[in-house]
Amino acid sequence: MALSREPAPINAADDPAVRPSREEILETIISNAAEAAHRRVTPRSVDWSGVSPARVASIFAALAERSLAPPRDLVDALLVAGHAVPTDCARDLQQRALNDLNRGAVAPTLIAGDLSRLAEHEHMRPEVAGAIVDRLMSLGADDEACSLGLALWPSMPQALSPVRAKLASHLASLSPLQIRLAGFSTTEMLAADLGPAFGGAGRNAHISQAEFGGALTTLLKPDAEADVHIVLLDFDSLAARDWRLHPTALHSRLVEQADNLSSALSTFASRSTSPLLINSIPIPSAPTAGLLDSRHHSGLRHAVHLINARLFAASEKSGNIIAVDADRALVDIPSSRHHDPKLWFYGRIAYSADASRAIASAFAQTWALLTRGPAKVLALDFDNTLWGGTYGEDGIERLACGEDYPGNAFQAFQQECLRLKRQGFLLVALSKNDPDAITVFERHPGMILKPSDFAATAINWQSKPQNIRQIASELNLGLDSFIFIDDSPHEREAMRRLVPEVAVAELPTDPARRPNWIRELTRTWPIRLTDEDERRTEMYAAERQNRALKNSAASVEEYLRGLQQRLTVSHVAPEAVVRVAQMQQRTNQFNLTTRRLSDADIAAYLDHPERGLALLGRVADKFGDHGIAITATVSFEGSNAAIETFLMSCRVIGREVEKAFLGSLLLVLAQRGIARVTAQFISTKKNGMVRNFYRENGFSFIGGDDSASSWAFDLSTQSVPRSEFVAAILEA
Amino acid sequence: MIAQQSDLSYPLLATIFEDVFQHTDLLTTATSKDDVSRWDSLQHIALVRAIETTFDIDLSLDEMMEMRTVGDIEAVLQRHGI
Repeated sequence: MALSREPAPINAADDPAVRPSREEILETIISNAAEAAHRRVTPRSVDWSGVSPARVASIFAALAERSLAPPRDLVDALLVAGHAVPTDCARDLQQRALNDLNRGAVAPTLIAGDLSRLAEHEHMRPEVAGAIVDRLMSLGADDEACSLGLALWPSMPQALSPVRAKLASHLASLSPLQIRLAGFSTTEMLAADLGPAFGGAGRNAHISQAEFGGALTTLLKPDAEADVHIVLLDFDSLAARDWRLHPTALHSRLVEQADNLSSALSTFASRSTSPLLINSIPIPSAPTAGLLDSRHHSGLRHAVHLINARLFAASEKSGNIIAVDADRALVDIPSSRHHDPKLWFYGRIAYSADASRAIASAFAQTWALLTRGPAKVLALDFDNTLWGGTYGEDGIERLACGEDYPGNAFQAFQQECLRLKRQGFLLVALSKNDPDAITVFERHPGMILKPSDFAATAINWQSKPQNIRQIASELNLGLDSFIFIDDSPHEREAMRRLVPEVAVAELPTDPARRPNWIRELTRTWPIRLTDEDERRTEMYAAERQNRALKNSAASVEEYLRGLQQRLTVSHVAPEAVVRVAQMQQRTNQFNLTTRRLSDADIAAYLDHPERGLALLGRVADKFGDHGIAITATVSFEGSNAAIETFLMSCRVIGREVEKAFLGSLLLVLAQRGIARVTAQFISTKKNGMVRNFYRENGFSFIGGDDSASSWAFDLSTQSVPRSEFVAAILEA
Repeated sequence: MIAQQSDLSYPLLATIFEDVFQHTDLLTTATSKDDVSRWDSLQHIALVRAIETTFDIDLSLDEMMEMRTVGDIEAVLQRHGI
């Protein structure tokens, strides 16, 4: 039972004789419902569950008679107690959902779409949320109840109470994730919070904790069994200051401690390839140098900045060390509540219960972003999304997008879209309009976006689900990398139902709230940024022109010849490691083994040239530079070599780049004296297109089945594949 | 209901104990750490947190250490004017 459902005790009067019974109180309230509603009095502490449906109906009848809308609190209280209310009285999403459940009007599965919206909803009221979870449970929809409870848990832990009993079996049904947890302070409370946090991200966390204060030793001796390491950092345990020391000694000690941390992190990066999540230290609320706290060396903020700067630098240097920004994680909790002194002095617990939950959620969220990767495409509606008004009806001069409200809000939103484009997103126009609507971006003076900012457009009267599928195949991107942004709830609903892979974001109705809203949209957050991200739209634009040429060229051969493609093959240099690792994470379709090597994995090839090599290929053609588009890693074993990963960005697909690259790779291996090369194909849901890649390029089949097959190439007898359409330049 | 058989002045505590310790047995003011299997020092923190949020109060370290039985908790709540 949710805490909030228990009625608060009614204060006992001194003399029991004059104390009205619960029933009498309730009777008074019900018979005066209209007056109470009028005066905005809602007796929340009343236990409405025992009231008969007829009495509840009479409340609404009394209100209707006086043309009074029932107050939200009253409707909440009745719904939470399990009553059904007239449908027009349930006014927001959460009331409607709970009302439907109370009426038994829907099977829980039917409201799956609503559940995901509830889970994302910012203004869930804890009592209502708890009741929805509770009702789902009693309808037997355990998994839905658990998922919703877990999704709501970061902001309202009580939503998980109704499902406590079933949670363990729900979590057990998720795929396990081995977490090694270490800290400088006590980690038990965080360990308890990581379960629900990772459960919300769809994984069953198996947590092994290092001994108390074992953070540094864990960093130096990574756990090979762990999928992910988590380190809880706090200031006092790492670098509590001893004021008996001379100020200079104090400062050098702080620097020394920051160095210890930073070198332990580098050691970890050199010894483990699994990701390490470590939180930064939140800005402290209690200063040690008053108003000078940020700038004087005795200031606590000053010291915290110093350690955080080291931490962020270490994270910048090593791809598998992810610094989780604690100030970001704790943004909704007042800074004075980040730390709970009694927990600190009771058990060396560095963060308050609320902060611990928020940090656990941030770890899980970061991990989810890291493994799933951020979305890649923003599919944007035009009317009332990118500008105010309807182009077809209002005409261009009446569209709101400019210096004054509400145009300035739309302008600010366009700025955010452009910002995301600079961070590597592709913008796609998805608008029900005549095709000339795209010209608004040139003709209207207030527009921030230009037509060329869109990597693809579908401006027509076809359905948006149909359009988005078409664009996904045009751009060679999975639908799960799209975020759909549209002001129309109907379009969003249609997208949710017809193309469930697409992430449908609940755009706020108030345009003023949208710029900040999109900044907070987690799926748009980058994990790290490279130059390639900034140029992605241009690369895709070149790809579109290519398509145009392809359509006009009489034959594919003619087209390919006309492209004048150049492939430059070289060893992965240190500065390209991040980009190559990013490709390893993002590439799903043209990926032979989908092994997802990390930065550290790639860097290992650079450090140990005797063990193997990592190659990359840059592609350019007459339309532009496509950047690094293909990569492979190979390991050596005597005179044999095995291709461990081989993957290519789909923006250069169908042009024999892969053939030319494979040829260059084999040449490099031949030059090193390799006689025989083996390779593998490992089947996934998405890589069907490369099933026959090795066969088509002269490899012979040596074993395996549909799910995984092995191939071999004999360099001493076979000649390497080459493409007549790609000029390969070997810099390796 | 539990409240009918027990001597609790704060029936909400029964819900809290169910939530924090999965303790469904009868809760009385005499119920102590020894009677509740999961009431260890770590779960004690969860208990303190549940009490703090439910009754909207801040407890001190002394109060936290003082709460060894349900009766102790009730005494603390009373002192906070709950």
